[in-house]
Amino acid sequence: MTAEIGQAAIYLSVLSCLWAIGFLSFGLWIRNARAIQSGRNAVVATFILISIATGALIYGFLTDDFSMRYVVEVSSAAQPVLYKITALWGAMSGSLLFWLWLLTVGGVIVVWQNYQRNKQTQDTLADYSLIPIAIVQLFFTILVTGLIEGVYNPLARFPGGQVAADGQGMNSLLQTPLMAIHPPTLYIGWISLTVPFAFAVGALASGRIGSGWILRSRRWMLFSWIILTIGITLGGNWAYQELGWGGYWAWDPVENASFMPWLLGTAYLHSVMIQEKRNMLKLWNILLITLAFQFTLLGTFITRSGIITSVHAFAQSDIGGYFLSFILASTAGVIGLIIYRWNRLKSANRLEALLSRESAFVLNNWLFVGLTLIILWGTLWPIISEAINGEKSSVPEAFFNKVVIIPGLLLLFLTGAGPIISWKKITANNFQRMFLLPLIIGLIGGALAWGFLALIGYTFPLYSVLCSFAAVFVIAAIFAEFYRGAKLRAKRQETSFLNGLNLLIQRNKRRYGGYIIHIGIVILYIGIMGSKGYFLLESKSMTLGESMEVGKYKLTMIDSFEKEYANYLRSVIVFDVEKNGKRIGTMEPALHDYYKAKSDEEPTKESAIRHFGMNDLYVALGNIPPNVKTGGVVNVQGYYNPLIGVVWIGVAVMVLGGIVAIAEKSERSREA
Amino acid sequence: MQKQKRLKVIAASVILLGGMVFLVVAMTRSTSMRHFTPAALVEAASGADNQRVQVDGLIAEGSSEWDAANFKLTFAVRDRETEALVNVIYEDRLKPDNFKDGGSVFVEGRYDAAQNLVVATKLMTKCASKYDGAESAVPTDETSYASE
Repeated sequence: MTAEIGQAAIYLSVLSCLWAIGFLSFGLWIRNARAIQSGRNAVVATFILISIATGALIYGFLTDDFSMRYVVEVSSAAQPVLYKITALWGAMSGSLLFWLWLLTVGGVIVVWQNYQRNKQTQDTLADYSLIPIAIVQLFFTILVTGLIEGVYNPLARFPGGQVAADGQGMNSLLQTPLMAIHPPTLYIGWISLTVPFAFAVGALASGRIGSGWILRSRRWMLFSWIILTIGITLGGNWAYQELGWGGYWAWDPVENASFMPWLLGTAYLHSVMIQEKRNMLKLWNILLITLAFQFTLLGTFITRSGIITSVHAFAQSDIGGYFLSFILASTAGVIGLIIYRWNRLKSANRLEALLSRESAFVLNNWLFVGLTLIILWGTLWPIISEAINGEKSSVPEAFFNKVVIIPGLLLLFLTGAGPIISWKKITANNFQRMFLLPLIIGLIGGALAWGFLALIGYTFPLYSVLCSFAAVFVIAAIFAEFYRGAKLRAKRQETSFLNGLNLLIQRNKRRYGGYIIHIGIVILYIGIMGSKGYFLLESKSMTLGESMEVGKYKLTMIDSFEKEYANYLRSVIVFDVEKNGKRIGTMEPALHDYYKAKSDEEPTKESAIRHFGMNDLYVALGNIPPNVKTGGVVNVQGYYNPLIGVVWIGVAVMVLGGIVAIAEKSERSREA
Repeated sequence: MQKQKRLKVIAASVILLGGMVFLVVAMTRSTSMRHFTPAALVEAASGADNQRVQVDGLIAEGSSEWDAANFKLTFAVRDRETEALVNVIYEDRLKPDNFKDGGSVFVEGRYDAAQNLVVATKLMTKCASKYDGAESAVPTDETSYASE
């Protein structure tokens, strides 16, 4: 019965979405407060209805209702309760419902924020913005009704009252805590990106194209950015721990699909500052946020339409076509509004000099958008190449690794140069005061890196030297900013330096939060440089008692054992680890054989990772033969990943900076 | 003065844009690999000899052999539609998770037409695809399940 209630709720929410769109548009058109209120109520109603549908599906999981098609597809009686719940987004139709539910949560929050605000002022910008939100909700609601081909209703039962004996269970690779939170994190990031987009559309529709819409949606954008940063990293971390290939990023289409909206969102976070301070780039900001939003949908199109053969190889479905149509239709709508408001979008100011804070921002935006287009080009190359010469081709990981280096290093340099270059035009004074010292320190840093790398045997590590130079320059430039600001505050308030620093950040959380993010970026770059540029990989077929060497480390296979868990069997090989001839402990890579996961699955690799400072030793197994105790051969791969710990720290610092920046209330940043 | 400044901005933009385009085109040309189904690769034969290729197909049932002593995986990729097969050898790398008979596989490597063999440098199986269809073990007569 619950499934039927859930289905009914989905059908009803088609109506509530239409209600919201209709009454909000009509109410805003004729300026009727009651019609507008009715539209807002419909947005809340959609949230309640979709919550009922989602609750009904979770109920189906928890009660092992194997008459429900979706439950059978992704759950099983033996699946732990946590993974019965995460099965909600374990396959396509459920994940669409979950996406929709998050979107309705977003809608309700916008309504609530607007209600709070309207106690003081009457303002319809948020009401305009609810219309695009309701349109996106409508699109997703229609997808999950099951009325269109290719997607079934996640609450549907099997026809003719059939009931399966047990479910198929979720893929065992997904039954880890990281995979339980990685997809919803990305979804939350994408959904919160929908809100600033909706505000941009609202601004266009209402004709108020000042900075109001940007300020109102600023925290949404930052929230989205923080969550996407976490979500993308969780995916990399999951791949690193679970997939056994020692890496965390492979430029797979699915990874690219999550990375491109992040790049565009980052560009947007920068370019809005120009609009707020100098009243420039109005049109650009609207285009940028539209593009960022469309890329969240484009990711779904790329990965689920079957047009790109990816590692993730999502099964083909018609859903890609619906996404593409929606992307095209909504983009056309935004372009229509832009043409309608063309006169109000012209910038009052122009770039005054090639070297200035403004042009640093513009260059930053060019690079972010350029990187996005490059990654899009590489991702879509199979289609592009087929269109050009009729032969389908693709580019490997190496293409991306090579092509992003130069724009990436330029961006790194800007991370330090942007915050210290003067507005309007760089002056000799500005250069001498702000640039000279960091540049000198940077050069020393680059030279030291060169010397160190030459010492350990790398002859001409050009990119590493440039990266080290830029990294040290940025750190010096940003620390100098903190230092100068804190000293000034301390002097003015007649307090200690640390108090001054604290005051400095408290008074301008957005700016200094941003600088903390920049420091995180530098740390991240150093981690990427080390782990991508200097990792070691050794492979060996081994029997008990044999050893292999990975750099300074020696791994000796000393034992094997098995252990049974609730839903899998863990087979372990024990290695003795020595560093420079000194024994330092053991490592236990394993294979997990899941009993109830999709029937014929092979055991999954559970690599063992040991941290030595920031460097990791990583061991993965290919197989464990039954006769391993009596001379059976095991295939072992050992990786040495230098500075990989720095990658995670860098991201953590970025997130911390984001949290500092988001703490600043929107209204305040107007005076900043 | 104003004009000169705009000229500078335009020049800088052109250099930046030109540089990026050049980089992308050059890298695409040097790394692009042709994409084949096993049937197309067998047909192309010497036309693809000694080139880096990508092959997308299924792991032929019963063809895979894991030679642990030599750290070597050999198997055949079967075409999704025809009977065509291409042999694959993959050395000194671990077998990816989800590698199973009949499963989707994506092979990157150099093609040796004489032996109809791809010496693989990268193997990818269908990822922990959340989105694979529910084709088996489900009591149903609706075909659309499997095609999802």
